[in-house]
Parts: sequence; C-alpha cells; structure tokens
Amino acid sequence: MILHLVPGTTEASVRELQESLEREGLRVLRSRERSRPILALAGKMPSALAESLAKSAHVERVTKPMGELLLVARAMRELPSVVDVGRVRVGGGTVVVIAGPCSVEGRERVLSVARQVRDAGAHLLRGGAFKPRTSPYQFQGFGVEGLRQLKDAGEAVGLPVVSEIMDAADVPAFRDHDIDCLQVGARNMQNFSLLKAIARAGKPVLLKRGLAATVDEWLHAAEYLAEGGCERILLCERGIRTYEKATRNTLDLTVLPLMREWTHLPILVDPAHAAGIARIIPPLSRAAIAAGADGVAVEVHENPAEARSDGPQALLPSELVHLVAESRVMAAVTGRRLHAPV
Amino acid sequence: MNPALRHQLRHLDGAILALLDERARLLVQTNAADPLRRAAVDDILRRHNGPFPAAGVDDVFATIDRHCAAFSIEENT
Repeated sequence: MILHLVPGTTEASVRELQESLEREGLRVLRSRERSRPILALAGKMPSALAESLAKSAHVERVTKPMGELLLVARAMRELPSVVDVGRVRVGGGTVVVIAGPCSVEGRERVLSVARQVRDAGAHLLRGGAFKPRTSPYQFQGFGVEGLRQLKDAGEAVGLPVVSEIMDAADVPAFRDHDIDCLQVGARNMQNFSLLKAIARAGKPVLLKRGLAATVDEWLHAAEYLAEGGCERILLCERGIRTYEKATRNTLDLTVLPLMREWTHLPILVDPAHAAGIARIIPPLSRAAIAAGADGVAVEVHENPAEARSDGPQALLPSELVHLVAESRVMAAVTGRRLHAPV
Repeated sequence: MNPALRHQLRHLDGAILALLDERARLLVQTNAADPLRRAAVDDILRRHNGPFPAAGVDDVFATIDRHCAAFSIEENT
C-alpha cells in the first residue's frame, strides 16, 4: 500500500504517522519524491488500519500497486524517474542509444568501435567483459582486463560505459574500474544474492528481463535492487522465449505501455538479443521507441562475421549511424527528443 | 471537412512541427554551415515522387534553412 500525503504535510506529522505505522508492525519506506511525502507500507496491513488511513487528514490518496511492488511502483513518484548514468540522463522525455560490441575483444578493437559509436551519436558505450555463454567452450570474455579496456575506451571518447556483472564477487572490480552502469543479464535477473550485492554498489543498474520472466517477476527483481539501496535502476526488455523459432526470442513490446502504469523506472529495449538477426533490428528499434521506450541498446561490430560473440545480431557502424538518425525522428514524432550528444 | 480528416491533418502538422524543432536543436549543436546542404536538398528532390509540388519542396527547405540558420546563429552567440 502506498500513501500519498497531502502536499505540505509537515515533517513532524509525517514522522508521527510513520512511527504509528511502525508500531503496528509495518515497515515504512519513503519515496524520494519532493513535491509531497509518499510512504510505502510493507507487511500485513490490518483492515481496520487501512480504513482509518484512508480517512486520515494527512492522507490524500491510497494506492494498491501491482503485487508487492513498493519502491519501484509508479505511485511512488509523481513523474516517471530520470536516471543519471554519467552525463547521460535516461528517461524524462529523451531517448538514448546504447551501443557497442557484444564482447570486448581487445584494446584497439574496442577503442575503434567506441569512436564510431560516439561519432554515430550514441550516448552510452556497452561491452561485455564477463560473458554468460550457453556453452562453456564459447568465448567467456576477458574478465577484469576487459573492464579496463572498455573503461579506457569510454574515457577516450567521452562516453559512460555499461557492462554485465555475473558474480557478486566482481563488484569491487566494477567499482575499481569505475564502470558507470552495471548490467544484470537476463540469466541473472532473479539471482537475488547478486541483486542484493550490486544494490549496495552505489552505481546505476541496467536490469534485463529474464528470458522466461513475467513482467511481475521482472519488476519484483527491480524491487530487490531498490530495497537494497539502489536508486538508479533501468529496465531493459530483451525478448522472451516463446514457441516462435524465426527469431532468437520474441520482443515483447506489448508490455511497454502497461509498464508505464506500473513503474516509474525508465524502460529500455534491446532488440538485438530479441531478434538475433541484424537486419531486423532497425524496424524493431523504431517500434520500441514508438511504443514508448526510453532508449534502445544494440550491438555494433566492425566485422560481425569475426565477432567472438553474437555476430549475427551486430550492426555495422554505418548501420548504427542510420539507426541513431531514425531514433531521432521516432523520438520527435512521439513527442520526445533524442538525448543531446554526450 | 470530415472531422476525422481534420484530426489527421492536425496530427500531421504536429509531427511536422516536432521534426522542425528537432532539426533546429540538432543544427544548433554545430556552428558550421553544411557545404553539402544544397546537394542533399537536390538529392531529396530527385527522390521525391509524392504529390507535393517539387517547387514547393524547394521553397519549404529554403525556408527551413533560412530560419534554422538564423536560430543557430542566435543560439550560438
């Protein structure tokens, strides 16, 4: 249950209400919203208390969010939240493009791609150093050295970097290399010990949807991050597994408009992992922005045939230039703007 | 006029204006005039096969360029 208090309610009154609720055995969480106090209540609510709260002079509105969502629930903010990743602001009416190689494949290669990502007008540089691969015989990434190369490339071109973390034990390495945004991949979406560990890392987190996760499960995974102290969360739809075999996964854009009603968090779309086919990524990106995505995440490689992972879904740098241009048009005609160059 | 058609025209006008605004924002990020601009407009005219008169297309782009240039100079000074 979420309580929207009357704007202007004094801090003393808020605290008094909070303490009375805590005496009832409820956990009270406060929104960062500044326009008015908003309280979220976790725990079993006695029905008599719920009725009295609805009648309280301090309470303007009581909202029951989906499931047990509280901190990430839409009702916890007056406006959708904006997440800062370095100098990039995700959400709030701008559209961002995240691009880079699937895997960091060496210092020179990642730097070369980074330059082209920046020149194309993308805003964040992505690159995998720890790779969750289906087979243990596939390229597993360069690990910490890959993080170093990615960060150096990002700094060289002035772009914040995003990279996937798979193990809580690697949090110090991500922090030491100042990785600007930690990505939780689809396979780890419900790895709750990992979520709890990275929630405390003080970094923005990009949480991908699990390949067989419902939206409810995905948002509750985000709630783990928020409850653990992470205040900058990005959601990323990347396709779910269905019976359709024509594409790697099925891009679930149908949930985007609904998610706007359920959460205040920015929502990105990764059409590359959904499609698995580079040539259909541009129309899927356009569709994602039309459906309200705050940005798209794609993979870029100078020679996809030689990519050490996910080559078939990698765009050429020239194709990224076109995708960014199309994203600008789609953002404008849907009443938003492409994020300014970083 | 059919209200539905009027509604569609208003939406198209809104989209045109949104795109013009976005073009102005993009242009203001650079101070330099584009020496390839005329060639780009010629290319658009060459590819154009819709009902809007070619002379009108040329006029529209000339007007856009004139106003965007003025806006760009104003924003960058």
